[in-house]
Amino acid sequence: MDILIGSLVAGILIGMILALVALGLTIIFGVMDIVNFAHGEFLMIGMYTGLLTAQATGIDPLLTLPVAAMVGFLLGVICYYGFIKYLVRGPMVAQLLGTFGLMLFLRNLALLIFGSEDRGVHSGLLVGKSFVMGMGVIVPATKLAAAILSVVAFLAIWLLMKRTKTGKALTATALNAQGARYMGIPTDRMNALAWGIGCASVTIAGALLVNFWSVNPFVGILFTMIAFAIVALGGFGSVSGAFFAGLVVGMIMEIPGIWDFLTYTLNWDWMANVPMTSLKYTFVYLAYFIIMVLRPRGLFGWKH
Amino acid sequence: METLRSALDFSDFPRLDISVAGIIAIFLLVFPLFPHSAFAMATMIQFLMFSIYGMGWNTIGGYGGQVDLGKAQYVGIGAYTTAVLLIRWDIPFWFSMPLGVCFAMAWSFIIGYPLFRLKGHYFAIATIATSLVLMDLFSVWEFVGAARGLEISPIKYHYPDFLRLLFKKDIYYYYVILSFFFAGILYVNGFRKSRLGFQLRSIRDNEDMASSLGINVHWAKIKTYAIATAFVSVVGSFHACYIKNIEPQDTMGLDLSILIALMAMLGGAGSLWGPIIGAAVLIPLKSYLKAWLGAAAGLAGIDLVIYAVIIMLISALEPRGIWGIVEKVRRRRRR
Repeated sequence: MDILIGSLVAGILIGMILALVALGLTIIFGVMDIVNFAHGEFLMIGMYTGLLTAQATGIDPLLTLPVAAMVGFLLGVICYYGFIKYLVRGPMVAQLLGTFGLMLFLRNLALLIFGSEDRGVHSGLLVGKSFVMGMGVIVPATKLAAAILSVVAFLAIWLLMKRTKTGKALTATALNAQGARYMGIPTDRMNALAWGIGCASVTIAGALLVNFWSVNPFVGILFTMIAFAIVALGGFGSVSGAFFAGLVVGMIMEIPGIWDFLTYTLNWDWMANVPMTSLKYTFVYLAYFIIMVLRPRGLFGWKH
Repeated sequence: METLRSALDFSDFPRLDISVAGIIAIFLLVFPLFPHSAFAMATMIQFLMFSIYGMGWNTIGGYGGQVDLGKAQYVGIGAYTTAVLLIRWDIPFWFSMPLGVCFAMAWSFIIGYPLFRLKGHYFAIATIATSLVLMDLFSVWEFVGAARGLEISPIKYHYPDFLRLLFKKDIYYYYVILSFFFAGILYVNGFRKSRLGFQLRSIRDNEDMASSLGINVHWAKIKTYAIATAFVSVVGSFHACYIKNIEPQDTMGLDLSILIALMAMLGGAGSLWGPIIGAAVLIPLKSYLKAWLGAAAGLAGIDLVIYAVIIMLISALEPRGIWGIVEKVRRRRRR
């Protein structure tokens, strides 16, 4: 039983952070209708930012969020004005491959600068500590803190999108860019803002993730695909959908744990031989495929 | 007979195109007779392989406008079919290759049927997802060597083995892939003038209009997807015999899928020469950048940084590719 509860709790915790990762993608997609392949690379940059800031200044990695957010925002705006602005004029093929080029660029730049070895956080206030939650469930303190902080960040961005004038202008641009332009909304600046907020949210997620996930330049593509799955499930462009879908995908990633639980309870031998842990992410991709085919709008989506 | 005549008929191209293509064809035929380095030979074979991948992608992605970023899964199916049959039962290439094409086409029908309900971005990402699912399954499947992959040992065959396509010298591989290359050009040339080719272009231009004219849009896309698959799978089988060492990551990874699409787009999607031009520019660039800057200079990654910058520049500034530039110049001159 403790395996089952343990993996469910782990699924929820990782799901909260993944929701923040997907939030950036869904904002960018909702406002601009462009699929960003470089999303995972922004996460990687956020992870490196958190790690290096913590190492350089000696503060706890969890407190590097403002730095990561600032780097992410600037990076997003620079990417928009320097590259994406020109890219969106072209056909869809060019957009897909252009953001793929951006991904290759960032990934290999990181490889050039940081080298290919894994790096992780080894010191900090919470590293190594954990909470025992009864029934044999142990939650690492870093994971718990990261999950809570990511929910806070998610809420902040959600409020920004729903309650402020800027957020409403963003939504208007997403719904109908031409109409928004007629109403006097500077859509170009709104697009840049969407990129800034989107990138900032994903770099925050990266700075949180680095507390318990080691970083190397190739970490991005996995999270890009996970974020695509979450966004598809929650609906392209839906902010609240991204949160619930994040939790669901976090659960899907814990399928190997649930499988272990079933193996022990049912005691069937063939189940133990299935290499579930290496198929961890296959379920995420499969979920994406099935969701897209059965319900292309996603569970909460409004954009089709 | 009629289809063959249509495939051999290049008369709707300007005379300049045909003469340049003829010169290049003669160059490709006689290239191995001149002194060349082994590296140049390997690059040429890569170029031919990727132009065929690109031609396959071009049928569905260029003429049909359906951006497919999962072509690598069919490379993998072809490569694994050939390798498994050769290693386990010593079945020659010329039998396993058609079988691999059959498997790949069957798989393309299975996933193509639901996939083509999606459009645009959604389709593109869904093809990536299916490709990654298949790659993950192959990386845990013990029968095909799991993540280690398969290795064909060439030591058994000392003489050039045309039946199994196992040679010591690259020149034999070169001529085999060159014949596939010419066959591919002829097929695509016939395809673009066939009924399906016209149907597909009308689907790209306006899908609703095409379906209101009585074209079965869904079925036309699925058929073309299978044709594209066949192209890719044949080269996948060749890849198994040529590289002799196949792993899930190399043959089915996302990088290969994207490279295939990129090649066709760089050259100019939706034109006969586009994928070939794209491969001719990108493959030498990639391998020479790697040789000069990558491992030798101790700067891992810098070759791919330059390569990525080129991709970004092209997609932002000239999204219709090199062939798009050529056509623009021509149109201006005619005026």
